[in-house]
Order: sequence, then structure tokens, then C-alpha cells
Amino acid sequence: MSVPLRAEPALDVAALVQRRRVSRRRRERAGRALAAIGAGAVLASMLAIPLFLLVELLPSASVPDGTGERLGVLLGGTLKASVLAVLLAFPVGLAAAVHLVCFSTPLQRSRWRPVLDLLAAIPTVVLGLIALTWLAPWLQSRIATLLVLAAVVPAAVIASLAVFAPLLRAHPARRPFVALAVGLAAGGVVIGWDPWAGAIAVDSPWNGVLVALALGVAAVPLICTVGADVLQRAWDRHIDAAVALGASRWQALRSLVLPAAASGLTAAALLALGRCAGETMIVLMASGNTAIASADPRDGLRSLSAELALSLPGAERGGALWRTLLIATLVLFVLSFACNLAAARLRARSA
Amino acid sequence: MQSGGGTAAGALGVTRRGAAVRRGRIGEDLAVGASAAGLALCLVLAGGIVLLLVRAGLAPFWPQPVIEYTLRDGSRVLGELVLRRDDALIVRGDDQLRPGDGYVRLRQEEILAERRPPDAIARVHVDGRHSYRRGGDDAHEPGIAAVEPRNALTFAGRLAFFGERLRAYAFGGDRPGDHGQGLLPALAGTLTLVLLMSLIVMPVGIAAAVHLHVYAGHGRLGTLVRGAVVSLAGVPSIVYGVLGLGLFVHGIGGGIDRWLYADRLPVPTFGTGGLLWAALTLAVLTLPVVVATVEQGLSRIPDTQRLGSLALGATRGETLRRLLLPQARPAVLSAWILAVARAVGAVAPLMLVGVVKYAPASPIDAAFPYLHPSRQFTHLGFAVYDQALISPDALVGVPRAYSAALLLVALVLVLNAAAGLVGRRLRDRDRAFTI
Repeated sequence: MSVPLRAEPALDVAALVQRRRVSRRRRERAGRALAAIGAGAVLASMLAIPLFLLVELLPSASVPDGTGERLGVLLGGTLKASVLAVLLAFPVGLAAAVHLVCFSTPLQRSRWRPVLDLLAAIPTVVLGLIALTWLAPWLQSRIATLLVLAAVVPAAVIASLAVFAPLLRAHPARRPFVALAVGLAAGGVVIGWDPWAGAIAVDSPWNGVLVALALGVAAVPLICTVGADVLQRAWDRHIDAAVALGASRWQALRSLVLPAAASGLTAAALLALGRCAGETMIVLMASGNTAIASADPRDGLRSLSAELALSLPGAERGGALWRTLLIATLVLFVLSFACNLAAARLRARSA
Repeated sequence: MQSGGGTAAGALGVTRRGAAVRRGRIGEDLAVGASAAGLALCLVLAGGIVLLLVRAGLAPFWPQPVIEYTLRDGSRVLGELVLRRDDALIVRGDDQLRPGDGYVRLRQEEILAERRPPDAIARVHVDGRHSYRRGGDDAHEPGIAAVEPRNALTFAGRLAFFGERLRAYAFGGDRPGDHGQGLLPALAGTLTLVLLMSLIVMPVGIAAAVHLHVYAGHGRLGTLVRGAVVSLAGVPSIVYGVLGLGLFVHGIGGGIDRWLYADRLPVPTFGTGGLLWAALTLAVLTLPVVVATVEQGLSRIPDTQRLGSLALGATRGETLRRLLLPQARPAVLSAWILAVARAVGAVAPLMLVGVVKYAPASPIDAAFPYLHPSRQFTHLGFAVYDQALISPDALVGVPRAYSAALLLVALVLVLNAAAGLVGRRLRDRDRAFTI
């Protein structure tokens, strides 16, 4: 007896595969459409902001009176706060990045990252609160003390670490803590003794110096992270050759690594500038929101973002104030976009 | 050739090579010192801010003793010390008409003596006023809600008092008549907002990341979308707020109002700030974070798996659904946590699209449909800002702002730590399974 070669009709495999192929193809197409919708949403979000602004502003090309001066003052305030903040934050961030990349081991690096992440994670509302309520009263009469602190404490730390260098060479991980102890001691002496209280007078406790300090605290982690990234790449590229030729780490840093990383570090500063320009809560709470155009850091300022947060809820849609504020939004958007674009270009060039 | 090298003469800097070596060493020590100073400053900033928040946020709940000040002119002031300025004390005495109008400023020169009578008590009236008395059991007096024998408390008693005040503030039901509603409405509003935002942003973000990884790859569309994601990440949050206000609230919300709720106009239903528009605005804000993190997670999966699956006849969608997405689960979780952390801290856009100090009605309640997306809501970050700046009694508002700030920072830190843990598990798993 022979066994039938043909399979049972219920198990017609070829037909099964054929049918499944159709439904699989349909599901594939549906899935792909869903994914494309997602990607389209991302593109739409990016275009939404400039498109919305242009659509609202272009139809009637009238610019309300006084917009130019008002925006000039606001833009000046934004730039004043951001530039001062980056000037304060850049040395600190760069120093921290240099220490992490060049003078510490990977273990130390992984231990210090949480500190920087902690600093980066603090919401800016909280920084504004601390600046407004705790720092402002203290700073009002102590700007001179601050300057003395900024000069004395780094000098003390550097001197002490240079003196203890032979001892610390065996325990490199302890260097930041020795720096911490010496810095706190020196700072405590300056603040406690404080014969300079009231030497530099300010009109109001909420001024450019306060804003610069608070914004600087927000900017330091960004500069440190981006700077460390850039420095690491330059360091890896140059250090072996430098050491082979007999240079010390500092000599390699000074003559090879820092020049190589210069454009990347500028990019970090630009990123921080863009971020500070867009920062709202700190400036809103700590700057006093006085719309004056003055380059003196002891005067208050009013920034574009703070103006938007304060005036926009009360602005009637389509009115003159509304148009002015939308123009201000456009200016802010273009400013931060330009900073980010320039920073990205510089980083691409240095990588 | 006479070169210093490693000889003693060289080390002493006698030769030119040795001098260079010594200069290098001095310079290195200075550089190490300066850079360590920068790192130490970061630690001081981070630790100092956290310590300040803990102290200022928890201090208002610790029971303050009732102090009796005897002044030079013979009068006595009974109250609690609130603030110590340069040469004056600010003491809270009896409230006369409203809570918070009993603050007295005493100059140091005026004060003859101060003491803490063990029988001094603080009384809280039903309308929130405070008054201070010596002795007597006034609990039966009408109009007194609570009597606090603060000076007679032991440390354990003070601890219990502290815990009770903390619990009362955190879970609402604040002391009678005091401003504010405690932290519970702000926290509930924040969580509702974040949940609604996640429902919007996660599907869209995952879809976009999937498209980037699987379908677009590194072609022109892929580069364009990636560029869009990077640009979006750099836009200031207040600009998103403007977009939300202009496009969502006035544009779409106004349209919905004219279309569906025309009979209620000019009172806006959807045409004003509310939960829905705020969630949508935050979704656009956090979209870049989600897309970048999920795509990073997907690209961590070795390409060999995807190629093998395709070789066995699976479609790209099936590869995705059965192979890649399950492996990308930690990345998706991490993306969600990062988005939530970013949303909790973004106060500026919310000021424009719907957050308020006291929400007249909670957006979640027991009436169908249980979630009312057109209603306004409160937010923890906004509570920090508004208690500090807008509260009528600054001496009460600022400590409350610190308490809200403490809770906010704790929340953000827990979220970031969770994201870090998930990320570490990702990395460990990648190391374990390499095909």
C-alpha cells in the first residue's frame, strides 16, 4: 500500500503562508505608518514654533511703537545676565573638567559624576528661591567681600596644594578634599572677619551680581560636562606622544591639549550662554525686573524671558502688547538657536 | 652632550633640561591645585544647596519656644522669635485682627532680658490667629482651636510635634485659617499633569525613535529628524510656553470653544489655560529627551540580532515588535523618568498655560468623567515661586516656599537616581549579552 503523497487539504501549507504573507505585509505597512506619524510629529513640533510666530506676526506687518527700544533694553538685560553668568561659571567648570579628565583616575571620575549630576538636576526655581531669599540680603552689603573671597580662596587653595604636593602625590584622590577643607577655612576667615562689609554700595539687593551668581551655578554643570567631553578627546589624542617626549601633564595640557580643545571649549561656553539666555525663573526671581539698560552689574536688569512670563498672561490676543511680546519671543528663539547652532558647528569642527 | 636628564645636576635645575623639568613640576602642582579648587567648589555648591534646603524647609515645623522679652521701658512682649536681623529682632506677638498682623520689631538696645517661662503657651484660634499667654488652661475657651504648651515639651515631645506639623502640612488640612492648602494639592496637580503628559509624549516619542532607528537610518530624512530633535532640545522652555498659549490655548482652545461650547462664551472652557494644554505643552517640551534616549537604547542592541531576524524572514515591523522593543524596555523606562524629571522642574511654560495658586476645583474628582482636562491646577514648582514672591505674609510664605522646594528637589533627585539605576542595569545587561 502506498501512502498518499499529497498533504491533507486542511494543512495546505502553501496557502497558509500565502494568506499570512498578506496580513503580515498589511501589519508591516500599518506599523511603518505609525512610526512615520511619530517622526512627523517631531518635525511638526520643531517647525511649529517659528511657523506659529511668523503666522501671527506677518499678516499685519506693523510693528507697534516703542517696540525697538523696549526690545533693546530687554535684549541688553538678557545678554548682561548671560555674559556675566558665563564669565563666572566658565573658570569653575573648566577647572573641574580639567581635574576630572587630566588629574584623576576613572574611579574618582565615576565618584564625582553624581555630584555634578546633583548640581545639574536642581530645578532653577529652587536656585531662584535661594538667591532671592537667602543670598540677596547677605550680598547687598558684601560685594566687596565677594571680590576678596574670589581672590583669596583660590590663592590659598593653590598655595596649600602646592605646599602639600609631595605628600599628596601618593593619594591623588584626596586632593579635592584638601582643597575643600582649605577653601572652607579661608572662606570662613574672610566672611567671619569681614572688615569690608558695605564697601561697595548697591541700590537694591536684586541686581546683576546676584543674577550672575545664581545663573552661574546653573551653568557650571553644563560647562563641566561638555568641557570634559571635549577635553577627554583631545587628551586621548595627545597625551601619549607628550609623555613619550618627556612633558609633564601640565605642559601637555598647556601646549597641546588646551589649544586643541579650544574650539570645543568655546562651544561649551556658547551652549551655556544660550541656556542662560533662555532661563526664566532665576532671572524672574532674582533680578528685580527693573527695565533699565545699564552695563553696571550692580544695577538690576529685565530679561526677555522674564518679560514674557510677566506680561504675556495679561496681554490681549492680537493687541499691540501681544505683537511686541511675540516679536520678543522670536528674538529669544533666534538668539538661543544661533548659540546652539554655533556651538554644534564648533564641536563638529573640533571632533 | 651635556644634558640634565635624570642626573642630580639635572634635578636641581642646574642644566637647562633640568630647569624645564622643575618648571613643569611646579606648573603641574599649580594646575592640580587650581583644578581641584574648581571641583571642590562644585561640591560646596551642590552640598550647600541641599543642606540649606533641608534646614530651611524643615525648620518651620520645629516647635519654637515662647519667649518673654522684658523691655527697657518696663513692658513685656510674649511671643516667638521669627527672625534676627542685624540689630533687631522680629517677634511674633498676638495677632489682633488677622493672622500675621502681630509681628513686632524689637531693637537690641530696647531689650533688657529674655526668658522662657515654662508655663507659656501658644494658642491657635479657629480663624488662624495666634496668641500667647502665661499659664492657664484655655482649651475650653470658645474660639481656641489648639493649645500648645511648647516650653514644657521634652525632646521627644518636640519630635512628635514636629512630625505632626509636617504631616499636617504635607497632606493638606493645614492649621486652621493659615494661608495655603498644604502641599497635597500641589503634589496631586503635578502628578496628574505629568501622567497626562506621559500619555501624550511616550507613544509619539517611541514611534519617532523607532522610525529613526529602523526605517530612516542615516539617510536624509533621518538626519533631518535628528537635527530637529537636537534643535528642539535647545529651545528655552518659556518659548514652548508662548507656543502653548498662542497655538493651543487661544488657537485650538478658542476654536473648540466656538465650536462646541459657544453657549458658554465669553466664559472660556477650553480657551483658557488648563490641564490639557499644559500637558500638551510639556509633551512638546520633553519630546526631544524621549526620542534621544529611546533611540540611544535601540542603537545599543547589537545589529547582528536585527540582521539575523531579517535573514530568517521576519519583516522589519516584526523584528521590532518581538525582538528590539522588548530589549529596549529599560531605555523606554529611563526616557520616561527623564521626561518626568524635566517636566517637574519646568515652571516657566506653565505660568503661561494654566497653573494657578489655588485651583478652584481639582482637575480630578468623583464626578464623571473623573478627569477634567479643561480645569486649572496647581504645581509644586509654581508653589515655590508663588509662596516666595506673591504670598501676602512674607514671613510665613518664604518658609513654605522652602518646604515646597525641598519636596521638589527630593522628587527630582529620586527620579534622576532611578534613571541612573535603570541606565546602569542597561549597561550591565549589554555587557552580559553580546552575541
